[in-house]
Amino acid sequence: MLEIKCPYCGKRSQNEFSYGGDASVKRPDLEKEISDQDWDNFVYFRNNPRGKHSELWQHISGCRQWFKVSRDTVSHEIFKTAKLNEEL
Amino acid sequence: MTPLSALNKLHQKGLFGDYKNKNEIISVSELKNLKIIQIFHYRKSNIKISSINLDNIKFPENSMQVNSNDETRILWNGPNNWLIISKNKDILKKIKKKCDDKNFAVTDLSHSRTVIELKGNNSKEILKKGCPINFNEFKLNNCANSVFHGITITIDMTDENLETLRILALRSFGESLYHGITDACLEDGYQGI
Repeated sequence: MLEIKCPYCGKRSQNEFSYGGDASVKRPDLEKEISDQDWDNFVYFRNNPRGKHSELWQHISGCRQWFKVSRDTVSHEIFKTAKLNEEL
Repeated sequence: MTPLSALNKLHQKGLFGDYKNKNEIISVSELKNLKIIQIFHYRKSNIKISSINLDNIKFPENSMQVNSNDETRILWNGPNNWLIISKNKDILKKIKKKCDDKNFAVTDLSHSRTVIELKGNNSKEILKKGCPINFNEFKLNNCANSVFHGITITIDMTDENLETLRILALRSFGESLYHGITDACLEDGYQGI
């Protein structure tokens, strides 16, 4: 069981959180023409790194806020959490 | 039309479980007729939340904090988000005077919540059986959103001398929550009041 530090509420059990995917994925610019391949990459393809990974989590049973987590996918160690407008 | 509480046909009065001393057991009750209002302060609003007073209570700005008077409690529910629980039936009118709809979203949730109150010296122990919050650091006028056996709940500590905890959940989860709590109480016995 992980203990995750919500940037708003403090340390809470993983039970209260929901995983929200890779935090490094960026949506293509709105008015920019992009290829089908780039769009496909944005929608479907994700890296599956072994080691440090930036993730989105939501404190779904707490304050309901989304935030960023830097986590090791091997040891599950959480290095840092940050609000969405902050740098990890 | 008469309003029916969520545990209307479920909650039973009397003594239950494996109690040894009737005077020291936990009491379980359903709190009815409370006004429960959620307030959201829009991010683009120019109004400072610290300037607003509701019945001489300020809106708490720190997590887990509750500000209260005799009949109204304002719980921090998240950033820019509060839950007001009040015995005052006219509280909604007062809120709407202070919080206009250009700057705040005000939602009456009174009909959609179940409120169970646990009172007794082992109240925290009951919740520890299904909730991951660190109750050793949970004090008077603290509140938290969490889970109890998978049900999302809001916990509000209203008294510290005789540990009194209010547990709020969605009305539709009321029956499950009630069974979960009374089941956890059976070990030391409880009094339904």
